[in-house]
Amino acid sequence: MIRFLVISLLACSILVSCSLKTTEGLRQVHFNKSDVENPYFSNSEIDYVYKAKIAVYGKNFGGILIIKKTGPESHRVVFTTEFGSKLFDFQFEGNTFTKNFVVEDLDKKFIINILKDDFMLLVNESATVLAVYQSNNERVYKTQSDERFNFYFLEDTSEKLEKIVNTSKTKEKVEIDFTSSEENIAETIAIKHNNIKLEIDLKKFKE
Amino acid sequence: MRNYCLLLFLIFIGGSIQAQESAMNSTEITSFKEKVIATAKTTKTINTDFLQYKHLDFLADDVKTSGTMVFKAPNLVKWEYTNPYQYSVIFKEDQLLINDGGTKSKVDIGNSKLFKKLNQLIVNSVKGNMFNDADFTVSFFKSSKYNKAVFIPKDKKIAGYIASFELLFNKNDAQVYEVKMVEPSQDFTRIIFSNRTLNSPINDSVFSN
Repeated sequence: MIRFLVISLLACSILVSCSLKTTEGLRQVHFNKSDVENPYFSNSEIDYVYKAKIAVYGKNFGGILIIKKTGPESHRVVFTTEFGSKLFDFQFEGNTFTKNFVVEDLDKKFIINILKDDFMLLVNESATVLAVYQSNNERVYKTQSDERFNFYFLEDTSEKLEKIVNTSKTKEKVEIDFTSSEENIAETIAIKHNNIKLEIDLKKFKE
Repeated sequence: MRNYCLLLFLIFIGGSIQAQESAMNSTEITSFKEKVIATAKTTKTINTDFLQYKHLDFLADDVKTSGTMVFKAPNLVKWEYTNPYQYSVIFKEDQLLINDGGTKSKVDIGNSKLFKKLNQLIVNSVKGNMFNDADFTVSFFKSSKYNKAVFIPKDKKIAGYIASFELLFNKNDAQVYEVKMVEPSQDFTRIIFSNRTLNSPINDSVFSN
């Protein structure tokens, strides 16, 4: 009886630990590169400006998201209302995060942490590859992110970055989807959270 | 030699910019205020295009958006952005009615003192009539092209968001043609009005979402 219990518990934990759906049905392949890159915010000469729509627990609000590469390893991320008033102003320098400004209503630790993690993942340009998987038309690069993992989905022929999924060992936490028409310019970006009802939709300004 | 010329040129330009704008004296302030208040009283409706520049020091270019603004006395305002996206916000009583590219929402501002203040600021700045606002220290400047009123908030909470608020008025008709909001970081938003129509009938239905 005890043996059965132990085995079933073991089986459960193994099944659970294997149940990350991100790589389900994919076969692991050999490394073809040591680093995977996100090129969408890598040009310091471009002002990346997006109309943002945020849905959080049934409430909608909008604004303008501005991202700029300000140094070899640094990015500014500023969110303003449509009228131009700043809601937050963040700076990422390598792994250092600086809060330049946040309006009082948003200045709560858990909100700041979510925004910090989301935008750090969004602007991070390069990560070391741990494993590589292959699907029909995508190559998936697994990378480490503190206690978690990031999976970068690159389209096979164009090598365009289409998706980043942030996971724990067993669950998908955040997904970022990109569409890009022009070379290295993300036209739309959708950031979706699985554990909280938060979705951020970004649409690039047309000149 | 070239540098010397450049320096002279810069001093000259700098000097001429300095000379262009000067503080109004007390009689000028009185007559300017009277003119603006008189204009504001006869302004029942405004329909105008606007161009907005958001300046952030780290950007190569200002972020440009544009649209139309409609005002109906005493306090209905609609800002409608049409380029590069569709977004409108209506200030109506204690509510903001927002239409963000088809996604409609309502924000109650009844409980927020700060929001009420900002709303009042917007209505009054469109009309130009906000000189008696006890919440601001106001100073007045003139140039050959415009009259300018600079508002500095006394309230610390508002000062955390707005370092100063500038209104530029046409010399001839005392209408506001530019609003500039400067943040404590010195980044700013400029809104420039053009193609203004005054006192043409505007239906109340314009101010519903």
